Amino acid sequence: MALPANVYKDLEDIVGSRNISGDPAVLDSYRYSLAHTAIHLGPFFDTFTPRGACVLLPGSTEEVRAIVELCNKHKIKFKASSTFWSAQGFPSEDDTIQLDMRRMDRILDIDKKNMFAVIEPGVIGATLQAEVMKVGLNTHIPGSGCSCSTLASATSYFGSGPSNLYGGWHYDNLLGLEWVMPTGEILRTGSLGQGCGWFCGEGPGPSMKGVARGFLGSKGSMGVYTKCAIKLFAWPGPECLPVEGTIPAYRTPLPDNFKAYTVAFPSWKAWADAAYAIWDAGIGYLAHRQFNMFGRDLKFAMVKILTDPTKTLSDLEELLADPEVQEITEQSKREFQIILVGMTKRDIEWQKKAFDEILERTGGWKVEAMDEPHIHDWVLLYMIRLGHKNLNLVFGGGYDGCFGLLGAADYGASNAEEAALFKKKWEKRGAIVDAGGDCMMGPIGGQGGGGTCLWENFTCFDSADRESTEGTFEFFDACTRFGLEKGWGVGMEKWNAVARGPDGKTTSKKKRDTIHLGSPQPSVFRYQHRVREAFNPNDLGDAYYETLDDT
Amino acid sequence: MNGKMTDLMNIVKEAEIIDDPAVIESFAHGYRGDVPMRPMFMVKPKNTDEVQKIVRWANETCTPLVPVSSGAPHLRGGTVPTAPGSVIVDLSGMDRIVKVDRRNRLALIEPGVTYTTLGPELKRHGLRIAMPLLPRKNKSVLTSLLEREPVVSPRYQWNMMEPLRALEIIWGNGDKFYSGGGVFRGEKEEDWKRGLVPVWGPGPGQLDFYKFVSAAQGSMGIVTWASVKCEVYPECRKLFFVPADRLEEAIEFVYLLLRYRFGDELFLMNKSCLAYVHARNADELESVKDTLPSWAVVVGITGGHILSKDRVEAREKDIRDIARGFGLKFIPQLRSLSGKEFGERIMRPCEEPYWKSRYSGEVQEVFFLTTLDRTPGFVAAMNEEADGLEYPAERIGVYLQPVHQGVGCHCEFIIPFDPDSRMDTRKTEELIRKSSLRLSDQGAFFSRPYGIWADMVYDRDAGTKTATKKIKEIFDPNNVMNPGKLCF
Ligand SMILES: Cc1cc2nc3c(=O)[nH]c(=O)nc-3n(C[C@H](O)[C@H](O)[C@H](O)COP(=O)(O)OP(=O)(O)OC[C@H]3O[C@@H](n4cnc5c(N)ncnc54)[C@H](O)[C@@H]3O)c2cc1C
Repeated sequence: MALPANVYKDLEDIVGSRNISGDPAVLDSYRYSLAHTAIHLGPFFDTFTPRGACVLLPGSTEEVRAIVELCNKHKIKFKASSTFWSAQGFPSEDDTIQLDMRRMDRILDIDKKNMFAVIEPGVIGATLQAEVMKVGLNTHIPGSGCSCSTLASATSYFGSGPSNLYGGWHYDNLLGLEWVMPTGEILRTGSLGQGCGWFCGEGPGPSMKGVARGFLGSKGSMGVYTKCAIKLFAWPGPECLPVEGTIPAYRTPLPDNFKAYTVAFPSWKAWADAAYAIWDAGIGYLAHRQFNMFGRDLKFAMVKILTDPTKTLSDLEELLADPEVQEITEQSKREFQIILVGMTKRDIEWQKKAFDEILERTGGWKVEAMDEPHIHDWVLLYMIRLGHKNLNLVFGGGYDGCFGLLGAADYGASNAEEAALFKKKWEKRGAIVDAGGDCMMGPIGGQGGGGTCLWENFTCFDSADRESTEGTFEFFDACTRFGLEKGWGVGMEKWNAVARGPDGKTTSKKKRDTIHLGSPQPSVFRYQHRVREAFNPNDLGDAYYETLDDT
Repeated sequence: MNGKMTDLMNIVKEAEIIDDPAVIESFAHGYRGDVPMRPMFMVKPKNTDEVQKIVRWANETCTPLVPVSSGAPHLRGGTVPTAPGSVIVDLSGMDRIVKVDRRNRLALIEPGVTYTTLGPELKRHGLRIAMPLLPRKNKSVLTSLLEREPVVSPRYQWNMMEPLRALEIIWGNGDKFYSGGGVFRGEKEEDWKRGLVPVWGPGPGQLDFYKFVSAAQGSMGIVTWASVKCEVYPECRKLFFVPADRLEEAIEFVYLLLRYRFGDELFLMNKSCLAYVHARNADELESVKDTLPSWAVVVGITGGHILSKDRVEAREKDIRDIARGFGLKFIPQLRSLSGKEFGERIMRPCEEPYWKSRYSGEVQEVFFLTTLDRTPGFVAAMNEEADGLEYPAERIGVYLQPVHQGVGCHCEFIIPFDPDSRMDTRKTEELIRKSSLRLSDQGAFFSRPYGIWADMVYDRDAGTKTATKKIKEIFDPNNVMNPGKLCF
């Protein structure tokens, strides 16, 4: 259904005719597949999110406020997105107005001394990082990569990634926030609301930032965030990342105070011991189990391909047969990547020594092959910039994460092997890429200073192949059942499915209620319901804000 | 004994109920313009169940509750009843350290656990907790963190709530709730073994529940346990001073340390504040003060459990080089003030008498958040206000504590006065009132609005006030939790 002409006209008056469209072709480009962490389009993966009523590109907070007020007047649902990387950023109800925030893309301030930047929604990680590096600072880039909006992840979703350890996760880093609430009123949190600057998001008194974002954000269902301040951290490197090499083997040679290692361990217990020791010692700048996303048995061969411009995916089989590659693969079964960065020469020297001591105590070793200069510098660029997101889809054009165990290092480490083996059946029948051992990846230190890890099992498949696509769906269903059986809860393969059904639309209330009532603490969703009633009385968001009625 | 007391006694049979006039009277001190109210009586629950029963009873009988966890005296007025017929819920008897987990560096504590009891227990496990500066001996760890008191180690503060993590909360409506991991409650020993530990602070879900009870002065609910993140107990540590004639001279140096996250303890003090920490009594104070520099940065360096000495050595050399680069000295002793002794002192709660009241017997504080670069302007404004009221500005202790890894700075003025002198008391009150308004106009963020600051901040920000009231309505619809505080 198209919007009534008068409403369209009113919206056009707000944003200008260049910044509104109701053209079905344009609206279809604002639809998405149903996946949680990636887009899978193909003849056998062809369900889209519903078409929006119109799409708007607001240019200021005032315009956003006017749009939201109009939506309240006419009781029309709206949903804002900034870089549109996952299904949660797209409507799940018909006739929703879509707000594409990309025009609001200014870095409003970089406070070098107090280490924060004030940004609008359209600012992506790559831009912010390039700008703040000029003044010796860096920004946390979540695992989704540097083309994603920093504000979207900080305010509205999660924000885990390799730099959590030193840079904090985006929960930690969100400071003052400007929020056009679902009613159109504007809330400025913390010091901002008092006119005292952007440096603090909390208070006065109980912190109302807690309404805007909890462990997770509101996923576009509770108004629009128009500006925020984000905490930064030291970058003791060059003002601009030097980049060398030939596509795709770009690398960044950095000074001696930067050192990337891949380290491996004889057991998961030793792996976890090392994580705890690293956190205790307070060393490390980035730490992620990154390349295991290609699969335990494929990762080193893939690294060889990706760091050599003469190689392609067709060389994979040959590389896998190479005894040297096999030996390194065997060595690096239970590994992770860590980058040590020293603020001074003495600092890096001490960190290196401490790290050696940790390896000694835990029985770990450095994977020497990853220390070849061209690989080392490729790893640095990959981890610091996170600009290689295309590689998530490298094998068959489709990938999604499953399990996603989240907790203390011991929690994942004691379950990883079992979760990994679970996929064998589907690998054997060719539904998903046969990666040998586990494909678990995620941060070593999922929050500032460590303490937690995330274990996401990468599942790569071919969305242009019926058997592969259907097999993957079947596998994900089985993962969910297995996760529940094991007491791990519903895995990330279904995080999206609570709010949105297989037809792309909001799941039935009955289904959602069953899920929420079965959770360890249903009152979480009851309180969210009450908050929604108080702050979003016309219910203009969608079920991505998870609620449970009181009755 | 009144009827309500008997009612409650029947409900919480085990809990102690006290109506001793001396105890009751001790809560009825006015604070910065609050009209003091005598509480009806005090109840001392022993466990979460009893707390929940008390809150439910309060809802049924419309009885205001004022939760208290620390021992007396209560400095900031959060525990002065501002509604008639209040019942004090004294949680100091819930003082178990439920669990210390070395591997995950977590401790699970009840509200009555003080820094005095927690410190040694953590040490036994090779841990410590980032502390506020010289808390009272009977200060509850949980309430200090809930009230977002700054800690002396900004580098461990990944957010403004650190090191507070998961909570068990009895909301004002009587509901029991687990914030943080939610699932990972840490109640069962086998969960700890499996790594199911209450390590998350935020959430669960899309609301940040622990932020609603933070800096709430007990007006949202009662927290019955909390998990707190700990640090490794250092095998070796040192403390240094960086003296400066003017505050401005030290600021750039501190910024660089913050950027590098060097310095495990890191804060600035003026001469008076240093003297208040150092001297044992008023007589010693004046003589100590004369020997001290106008300002000093205090920098603690610790080695953890791995190559501890090497770490301390490397840091010491680096920080000395950095100080030199700013033309500053980095020294282990400030005349009579030894870094070693100072370092040991700030690792423990304060000996009696409380350091802030050593000068004249009583103290008032003005504190707020800002950024470090703006602090000289606030110090100048406070001095001007003091001069204007003929309050001796040199008495004012200034404590500047970077927070949240240096993004912000807690700025605190310690204003001693003689409670027996009406003149001094009046002047001090006037100074608090006038300076608070002026500093607020100048951009000071009173993020923890005690007493007269509450109206000041909520009148400035209608949006936050409305939102805060909506949240209160959800979690404490009958306004039984410490009514009259904040904007309730
Ligand atoms: C391949 C892939 C990998 C990923 N890996 C990770 C990971 O490692 N860690 C992680 O945390 N996440 C990850 N994600 C999830 C998510 O996409 C990211 O968190 C991402 O950083 C957010 O950016 P986005 O482009 O998805 O934002 P958007 O799609 O713009 O938005 C994300 C959510 O926020 C809402 N939103 C956006 N802007 C606004 C606004 N201005 N006001 C109100 N609401 C708004 C949207 O409606 C949506 O619900 C991944 C996603 C993909 C596709």
